[in-house]
Amino acid sequence: MAETRILFRELDDPALRTIDGYRRRGGYRSLERAFRELEPDFLLGQLEESELRGRGGAGFSMGKKGSFLPRGDMDKYLCCNADESEPGTFKDRELMQKNPHLLIEGIAIAALAVDATRAFIFIRGEYAEQADIVEQAVDEAYEAGFLGENILGSGFGVELVVHRGAGAYICGEETALLDSLEGKRGNPRLKPPFPAIQGLYGGPTLINNVETLMNVPLVVEHGAGWFKSFGTEESTGTKVVSVSGCVQRPGNYEIELGMPSREIIFDLAGGPPEGRGVKAWFPGGSSAPVLTADDLDVPYSFEALAGAGSMLGSGAIIVADDAVSIPELALRTARFYHHESCGKCTPCREGTNWTVKMLERVVAGEATPMDLDIITSVQENIIGNCLCVLGDAMAMPVGSMVKKFRSEFEEQLRGVASSSSGSGANGAAGTAEGTATSSLAQAGAP
Amino acid sequence: MSHEYRPTDDLSAAERSELIASMRPEDAERIPELHEVDVPEELKAEIEAAMGRYPELRSASIPALWAVQRRYGWCSPDGIRQAAAVMGLSPAYLQSVASFYDLFRLRPLGEHRVLVCTNISCWMNGADELLDALCDASGADHEAAHHGGANAPDGNVFVSGFECLGACDIAPMASIDDRYYGPLEIGEAEAIIAALRADSEPVPEKALHHRGLAGGSGAGDDPRVPELDRG
Amino acid sequence: MSEKQEITLVVDGVEVQATEGSMLVDAAKGGDVEIPVFCYEPKLGPPVGACRMCLVEVEGIPKLQTACSTPVRDGMVVYTRTDRVKEAQNAVVEFLLVNHPLDCPVCDKGGECPLQDIAMGWGAGRSRFTDPKRHFQKPVPLSPLVRIDRERCILCYRCVRFSQEVAEDEQLQLLERGANTFVGTFDDHPYIAPFHGNVIELCPVGALTSEAYRFRARPWDIEDAGSICTLCPSQCNVKHTVRDDVVERVLARDNPDVDDGWLCDKGRFGFQMLASSDRLTMPQVRSGGALDEASWEEALERAASGLAAAKGKVAAIVGGGATNEEGYLVQRIVRGSLNSADVDSRPVAGPSQALRAELGRPDRAASMADVDHAQAILLLDCDPLHEMPILDLRIRKAIRRNGAKLVVASARPTALDGGAEEVERFAPSEAASFSLESDAGRVLRDAGRVVVIFGERVVCDSNPDAAASSLLTLAKELTLEEDGSGLIEVPSGANGRGLAEVGCLPGIGPGLAAAAAGRSAEEIQEALESGELEGLILWEADPVRDFPDPKAWHSALGAANFVLSISMFGNASGGHADVVLPAQGYAEKEGTVTHPDGRVQRLRPGVPAPGEVQPGWQFLTELAARLGDETGIDSAPEALAALVSEVPFYGGLTHEEIGAHGVRWQGRDSADGAAAVGGPGEHGGTAGAGTQAQSRSTGTASADAPTPNGGLRLGTYRDLWAGEVTERNPALRFLAPTQTLELSPDDAERLGVEGGEAVDVRSNGFSVRANVAIRERMRPGAGFLIEGLDGDGANVLGGAGEVSVTKAGE
Ligand SMILES: Cc1cc2nc3c(=O)[nH]c(=O)nc-3n(C[C@H](O)[C@H](O)[C@H](O)COP(=O)(O)O)c2cc1C
Ligand code: SF4
Ligand code: FES
Repeated sequence: MAETRILFRELDDPALRTIDGYRRRGGYRSLERAFRELEPDFLLGQLEESELRGRGGAGFSMGKKGSFLPRGDMDKYLCCNADESEPGTFKDRELMQKNPHLLIEGIAIAALAVDATRAFIFIRGEYAEQADIVEQAVDEAYEAGFLGENILGSGFGVELVVHRGAGAYICGEETALLDSLEGKRGNPRLKPPFPAIQGLYGGPTLINNVETLMNVPLVVEHGAGWFKSFGTEESTGTKVVSVSGCVQRPGNYEIELGMPSREIIFDLAGGPPEGRGVKAWFPGGSSAPVLTADDLDVPYSFEALAGAGSMLGSGAIIVADDAVSIPELALRTARFYHHESCGKCTPCREGTNWTVKMLERVVAGEATPMDLDIITSVQENIIGNCLCVLGDAMAMPVGSMVKKFRSEFEEQLRGVASSSSGSGANGAAGTAEGTATSSLAQAGAP
Repeated sequence: MSHEYRPTDDLSAAERSELIASMRPEDAERIPELHEVDVPEELKAEIEAAMGRYPELRSASIPALWAVQRRYGWCSPDGIRQAAAVMGLSPAYLQSVASFYDLFRLRPLGEHRVLVCTNISCWMNGADELLDALCDASGADHEAAHHGGANAPDGNVFVSGFECLGACDIAPMASIDDRYYGPLEIGEAEAIIAALRADSEPVPEKALHHRGLAGGSGAGDDPRVPELDRG
Repeated sequence: MSEKQEITLVVDGVEVQATEGSMLVDAAKGGDVEIPVFCYEPKLGPPVGACRMCLVEVEGIPKLQTACSTPVRDGMVVYTRTDRVKEAQNAVVEFLLVNHPLDCPVCDKGGECPLQDIAMGWGAGRSRFTDPKRHFQKPVPLSPLVRIDRERCILCYRCVRFSQEVAEDEQLQLLERGANTFVGTFDDHPYIAPFHGNVIELCPVGALTSEAYRFRARPWDIEDAGSICTLCPSQCNVKHTVRDDVVERVLARDNPDVDDGWLCDKGRFGFQMLASSDRLTMPQVRSGGALDEASWEEALERAASGLAAAKGKVAAIVGGGATNEEGYLVQRIVRGSLNSADVDSRPVAGPSQALRAELGRPDRAASMADVDHAQAILLLDCDPLHEMPILDLRIRKAIRRNGAKLVVASARPTALDGGAEEVERFAPSEAASFSLESDAGRVLRDAGRVVVIFGERVVCDSNPDAAASSLLTLAKELTLEEDGSGLIEVPSGANGRGLAEVGCLPGIGPGLAAAAAGRSAEEIQEALESGELEGLILWEADPVRDFPDPKAWHSALGAANFVLSISMFGNASGGHADVVLPAQGYAEKEGTVTHPDGRVQRLRPGVPAPGEVQPGWQFLTELAARLGDETGIDSAPEALAALVSEVPFYGGLTHEEIGAHGVRWQGRDSADGAAAVGGPGEHGGTAGAGTQAQSRSTGTASADAPTPNGGLRLGTYRDLWAGEVTERNPALRFLAPTQTLELSPDDAERLGVEGGEAVDVRSNGFSVRANVAIRERMRPGAGFLIEGLDGDGANVLGGAGEVSVTKAGE
């Protein structure tokens, strides 16, 4: 099966990046219609009816979230979450780099729908190249009158600022994003109040992912019914899936939701290198519990992946083939969350820290079977007890790895050099097998 | 950090009083006034412009720190004090914010920055070895490069392992002076460092922006997808 | 403000009544259920839910909820002791101990440590963590007063929230991220800010400890004694930690109507002087040239005869630290037995009795709580940070949490300028120029509830009646008599309000009633010098040091036939005394004081006074008796009863009623008594006086432009750290300021001087050496010096109006 290219139509055409090229392809027509002819309520209604679900991680209905914002003349805000820091995820990067105006158009329409007069694109600081591109596009859009005051004489204006982050995964979490945008350390806030009620600067705020917002002009252009003709009952539309790790053709693929995962991993991304098999895979970024080769036929949809005990998350498939050591994979995963924990709440701050220390001993062959039980118990003690879900985002995959690959962990306890866990390296860069292990074992805690 | 304190319990009573007497009220770092710092005009203008972009001025903290880092190469204490004076915030506040984010550096940094992703996908594709090769080529300390970054001895290049940079499709990869390159090979490490030392673009052919969609540039054949309306 | 409903919820099977929307942790207390917390501290603002210690089960919600941040609803069913909750609590305690050194036996917090208590009460009593813990240099000084042990820190956020969101000094911050996070300052600079001591009390572990209290006592050999700090008009409620009859520590005793549970560092660390070996512990009488120790009998006899000899020509100056009882008895002796009229408790003369009574009218008085909920606050020539520090925090709270709009109108920049909606800067002593027609005025006129806070200097000025009239006009225009609005005067003395109300102002007797016309402090000085007055009582007052014109006071005291001085320490004015009686310190006194908002509060002795020091009310009663006034007072409650009988609006007040948290007299039935006080019910001539004040100000509006010869309009201010408390407490001494001339950048440039440079400030033969400090928000043409620095003539120059400034020695 092939991709279903809606967001990806003519994406590689360099002209698309300019406002002229974008408009030549029908760009900004949805915005023109929305601002000239459509009522905000109608727009929100269409979004709700389309059942477009958030593409950033949680998969919440975008239209419904928009409808939670109170009416009234208080200042309201829209934040586009372009922090894209979930390991394995790189779809927003390609979308923004190649079609920035679609994002701007989506933001302006969504802002109109929820009566938000100020919008921000919070883009991760590492995406400097993409931020430059988006910034240039924003300038063009202002010039063309698609942003700024009184857009197309509608009486409604939207100010859009591109805000560059500075390197912190937690800022992708929506409330941490708000704190960071307010110029603070990017710590998550307590919820409730939810951002829709009390978000940026205390005002009602709609936060959506880049890809979610890029779907908005399409829903407006073709209607909710058309949008729903793609995907499954509970997962409408297409999804850009980032596939990486041990696959031959890593990259972004736009698929119709519900496509069997096997087809994405094998038919589109080419599967693991010759002679290797899939051992474990994250279906939705590194925060999703891992699945195994047995789960490859699970349809790629929100509901099916949840049913399989994992989640669609950010739509990033990371494949580990049978040459990868799962304990080392668990350590790499845990280290990321340890490094990225903001430190505000106790279970996440100390739990990630403790987990890394234990996994380091496991990988170094210095742990005992009791440590595996403690690792499991620590993950359980993290899940559900934290301020935001970053802690859970480590505990779930790490817990799933210990559970599903317990025997491999136990082998590791008996000695480092067992054959199946020799190296995490896939060798694409010509690495000799076995070196990854030793460098890991030497690495102390940061 | 500038002051070094010894644990007070290890000190004699006399040393303790001397230490305590050395902390003068005027050493507390309050919000500096503009005349107390020597902020360059352009930096001030840049920060003020950022302050104007947001409904609340504190939002300009991160843009201001970026401006400081661009100007001085790192978030130096003097630079932070200058930004603090322009914004009317305490230097401690800005330093606290800066220290939260990985891209802000609180120590001087090599002129060229090579950040190697060592997260899962890149690691499975040999990122650790790539980072080691870049350390070898530049002379940067391996251990330090894996844990927060290290400057090469000549101070010209900064090499650092980094969390997922959002480019697993070009694993193993690196962000070199804010542009992405990959997939990189260990054999390219020497050339990359040499190019940087010569202030020229390394491995330009591996720049991310050359890359097309992984599935080719076709339109797909789903009949429900309408043609683009060029009318 | 809508009234919240009382609702019922069920906690662990027990029905509990609570106010809707209150937090579950607090509501549960009503059912005697304690939910452990670390980060929750409502004084710091809304809950942050960071430590996760307070997780509980709420029926109908799948995840455990943080009780600190869950508002209660009617019918809510909560479990705090299920297995699930216990597991979560054990888990959080175990996580908290991952990096904690567990060095309780050598920790100053041991025995009074929430972490210790909670780990015992709610933890599993074991830790499975065996890896190395994180290490820091420890303990290191965070400031000369506070030490930090970062290994013990559990990253609860309290201290940094205090710095960021309560004191707003923003000096104490979290640095780094995640498990590497630590509490610190910019580049390891010391954290020195006027309220920073509060972090010691906030810290739930032994990470932040007091340098002064270090290893001084263990919790089991101390006692706590509640009282009031009378080192400034904030009158914060405190607990004295007492060991072996010595105050070892001062802690806050939360009173939301007074201090919100905060203390300034002066109050927190200013207790060492109580145990100072310099204290006067015996009466002294002058024999020959020198003061010799004497018995009480001898001293009182000498005092009585000395005063009696000057009968009809005796004046008294009562210092701001006196209790109501002490002040009352002093004025009673002067006005009664000694048949004199001159009593004052302020350095500069204030408005007449009628105006003072008008200003004090109960419907025009704002309470501290009114500040919290004001829509607009006017700060008129007053910087709370220096004059009433805790009020500074309360105004910040009103702005930050309740959106109050602040207008600052002052001659000197205030610490609150940064948070103000409008700042108006006038020339020194030109407060009367403030007008509601300005932009700043508009902010006030547009607001409903307005609180006007003014410094004593506004009405104790060259033309006090005009100034008071302007204020009354302002009050009328802003309808300050309405609920939630009102005036607050910040007096220069800690008990300035109480002393005024018990009769310690010239021409104003107890209950603010009209009394025979009397001299102000300034006039007393002149009359002593000219011989019109012969005797003087100085009650904890040192005019030579504190009042304008020390030289004049020296000669006035020298000229007096008889001087009786009552003080804790020997002082410059006391050097002229014929009899010196030792005074109790504030932690030793029993009596009452009145807060600037009218709250009568009670001082209770926490420690015995040293040596032969006696309670003031006691020896004053005895002195009165020797002068023929048998008061019948035999105890502190009787002293209160005696004064209450003469202050109608304190009617019937007793120690019991005052209790631990005080009573605002304006809220009692007897407040009507204030309306009956002599003055005209409705103030006549207000408008006229107002215009008069207005025109006076227009006349001088340009007076602070630099004069042709480069002079400056000079003002003086009382710095928080200038004065005896700083000097007498070793812990605070490092804060003692040196003389500083504050200048605008323009003036500094014009005068060719730089920040830090030494200059001479001169006027008619007086000269003061000062270091220049450049302040951006200083009004050009104006300069400020610190008053009350020992042996410095700044006080005189303060009245000079115009001064010249030259580089030192030129
Ligand atoms: C730790 C963490 C990191 C996240 N990172 C991102 C991110 O990088 N980009 C994103 O769009 N959403 C991210 N999310 C999800 C956001 O919190 C939020 O749900 C999303 O931006 C909402 O947009 P959507 O409804 O369009 O998906 C993250 C969530 C968590 C808990
Ligand atoms: S030092 Fe104390 S108050 Fe501050 S964060 Fe640590 S534990 Fe909390
Ligand atoms: S007390 Fe509730 S989370 Fe800390």
